[in-house]
Amino acid sequence: MSRKIYIRLATDRVNTSVAIEGLRAYPSIYTPGQIITNQNEFMRGHGTYEDNGLLKASVAGVQEKVNNLISVRPLKSRYNGEVGDVVVGRITEVQQKRWKVNTNSRLDSILPLSSVNLPGGELRRRSVEDEHMMRNYLQEGDLISAEVKNVYSDGSLSLHTRSLKYGKLGQGIMVKVFPSLIKRSKTHFHNLPIGISLILGTNGFIWICPIINNTEESVGGFVQNLEEVVPEITRATMSRTRNCILALAQSKMMLFDTSILFAYEESKSITYQNY
Amino acid sequence: MPLCDAEKTFVLHGVDANMRIDGREREDYRPMELETDVVSHAFGSARLRLANTDVLVAVKIEVDSPFPEKPFEGKLEFFVDCSANATPDFEGRGGENLAVELSNCLASAYRSNEALDLKKLCIMKGRKCWKLYVDILLLEVGGNLFDAVSIAVKSALYNTQIPKIKSIHVDGSQIDIQVCDDIFSCTRLDISGAPLMVTVCKIGEHCIVDPNAAEEQCSVGAVVVAVSRGCLSTVLQTGTGSFHPKTLKECLKLGFSVAQNLEDSLMETLGEIKPNQDVGFLK
Amino acid sequence: MPIDHKRINPPEDAVPYKLFTKLNTKSSQEQYQQILDKNQIRKDGRHASEHRKIYMKTGVIAHAKGSAYIEQGQTKIVASVFDPREIPNRLDYCLKGEVYCDFKFAPFSCPKRRLHQQDSQEKEYSSIMKKALEAAICRHEFPNFQVDVYVLVLHNAGSALSAAITAAGAALASAGIPMFDIITSSTLAIQGKDVLLDPDFEEETLSEIAIEKEHGIIVISVLATHDQISHFHQVGNLPLNVVSDSIDILHKSCKEIVPLVQKCVIRSVLAGISET
Repeated sequence: MSRKIYIRLATDRVNTSVAIEGLRAYPSIYTPGQIITNQNEFMRGHGTYEDNGLLKASVAGVQEKVNNLISVRPLKSRYNGEVGDVVVGRITEVQQKRWKVNTNSRLDSILPLSSVNLPGGELRRRSVEDEHMMRNYLQEGDLISAEVKNVYSDGSLSLHTRSLKYGKLGQGIMVKVFPSLIKRSKTHFHNLPIGISLILGTNGFIWICPIINNTEESVGGFVQNLEEVVPEITRATMSRTRNCILALAQSKMMLFDTSILFAYEESKSITYQNY
Repeated sequence: MPLCDAEKTFVLHGVDANMRIDGREREDYRPMELETDVVSHAFGSARLRLANTDVLVAVKIEVDSPFPEKPFEGKLEFFVDCSANATPDFEGRGGENLAVELSNCLASAYRSNEALDLKKLCIMKGRKCWKLYVDILLLEVGGNLFDAVSIAVKSALYNTQIPKIKSIHVDGSQIDIQVCDDIFSCTRLDISGAPLMVTVCKIGEHCIVDPNAAEEQCSVGAVVVAVSRGCLSTVLQTGTGSFHPKTLKECLKLGFSVAQNLEDSLMETLGEIKPNQDVGFLK
Repeated sequence: MPIDHKRINPPEDAVPYKLFTKLNTKSSQEQYQQILDKNQIRKDGRHASEHRKIYMKTGVIAHAKGSAYIEQGQTKIVASVFDPREIPNRLDYCLKGEVYCDFKFAPFSCPKRRLHQQDSQEKEYSSIMKKALEAAICRHEFPNFQVDVYVLVLHNAGSALSAAITAAGAALASAGIPMFDIITSSTLAIQGKDVLLDPDFEEETLSEIAIEKEHGIIVISVLATHDQISHFHQVGNLPLNVVSDSIDILHKSCKEIVPLVQKCVIRSVLAGISET
């Protein structure tokens, strides 16, 4: 017997945005073409342009000022990478000596063969065989966690996985949210006390998986265990976490380990959640 | 975007354990949001949002002459428009195949007189009848289109008001129809038999309903089951893949019971609609 | 639907003359009562659960890679298969080959004249055929290629779709396209309690109309040795248990056609050997 199917009328729709209830005033939001300042001492940053000595916004968003540099950050945007960011990405193409990775940024990112730890030792020369074997390590559709090594002038990223914590991801759930909702913090790898691991990619891709034990197998992470069945309790926690993250994202709340844990604890009072 | 093997395995194990990645059981639907009377120029309309799938249906009515083979019946036609707004894949003629498949499926589901009695749409035998144009616009595509479209079509037909005829004058071959001036005196369609479609997806050894985009990628075959008044009005397979006769029967059984559940929920929701409460696309 | 103006089409409001004959004065109920007598024997002397006789021949079209002609009772269909070719207008690489199906009724094949352009029913049949055949063909063996299957109905005396699928399967086999299995197909028409296997045109049209509450048509195609149903299509208004029972009837009937197709394919292979 299947459970009841819920069909809600549009008149019963609830506004999930929490910003309205907040007492703080909105920051001023600029629209494209709007004059930000007419003073010359400011420097032109992202999302702005100069016209007749006036500094104008080119995207809709909030102003950010660092010393003399003014930039406008759009509310919804693709990911703008910075060196050192932890990202989660999906391989889209296998090319000569490199992989193309979709990281939710404007251009596909690049993962060169020289920036991965190949099985069998960190300091190994990359041979021609390795080039032929590239598809065996990572093939189209595979998910990886990586760090941004370099940002090129056109905005495309170069990644590396030269640490044991990075590499191919196994069984789990990927959730996509706006990159601006991910709060940057010291670590983006979290082993939550509820029994799951989270990778909060700064590019807005969040990976939920069972607890990873980094200590034992340290081959660099090119193995996937497809046989292993995730126990049901872990699975339930993962699903609940996924739904919590989506709920937080829908209400435009910042995502970091504490907010997700709070949402998770709060959701436990609701026994049946269907989304 | 294709999933990797590990993700597919996770989905597969989840279906096996009756705990899907969003916490649903195999026979659970995602919640939906329904709104009727959204298009003011249409005689009836409905908009349905099922997770990320968004469908808008509008019904237009015109006076036409019936088919000579069926002088007592009105006409009903379905048009599906895959807007390029939905996904970039629909650009140009990309969505054409899907549109044809959807409209064919609807047409065969509504072909039987048990589903929608076209005789009620006849104005004058062999001369004049009403023709219903059901236009379906896909605003966003997030999996499980057939189900969403059928629910939206049924709601739009529920919402449809057919003008009342005051008088008919026949003068030789000329037929003059006078429609009632009062815009509030309209007849409603009897939609108790309008079929609802349920897509049953086979993943691994089990069948699920209402697959999301990830689950659609893992499925080895899918059957669309259209049910009206406790009978199957249409069954067809979507996508490729074959079934063992036993599995097929199980799929039909599952789809059938879920469709009846869906029917109950939908009728309950439609009954709750109060007049003049349009919300529209904002809010 | 745009009309091809270069062809001479009849006036749009032209009506088949049959509508004005005496036959048409009978209601569909009366027409239906004549179809089956008390002993479940149909007009043409068949029992309700008896399939019509099938005649089949492969290699009827010289320039096609493979072709088949089928006569199922009065239904006459030609199917032809052409060499796999690269998928036109396709940029990305696809791992599995594609099947293109084109189902067409000849203008003179039905009581009502068909237009030269594909109408919606023909398009629907094309897509059903495509799905049925895709499951039978080893599509992974020719990535990025497309096989064209053309089916022309010369005379539609009922069950045209299933005859077309059977013929297309034979044509594919004789064309040497790698296939998992031989594909056969069968139709069932239901009206009330009467279940008619392989209906003719009249039986088919009458089963589409709701004379009784339960009515409908079921078409399935079967991969016999794998015991798989490659396509299932039903219209009408039927209770669940009737559909379940029908699956068994049709499955059995499809299996009975298999030896015939096999014999036909063997004959075409033998003919090919003796020629060379």
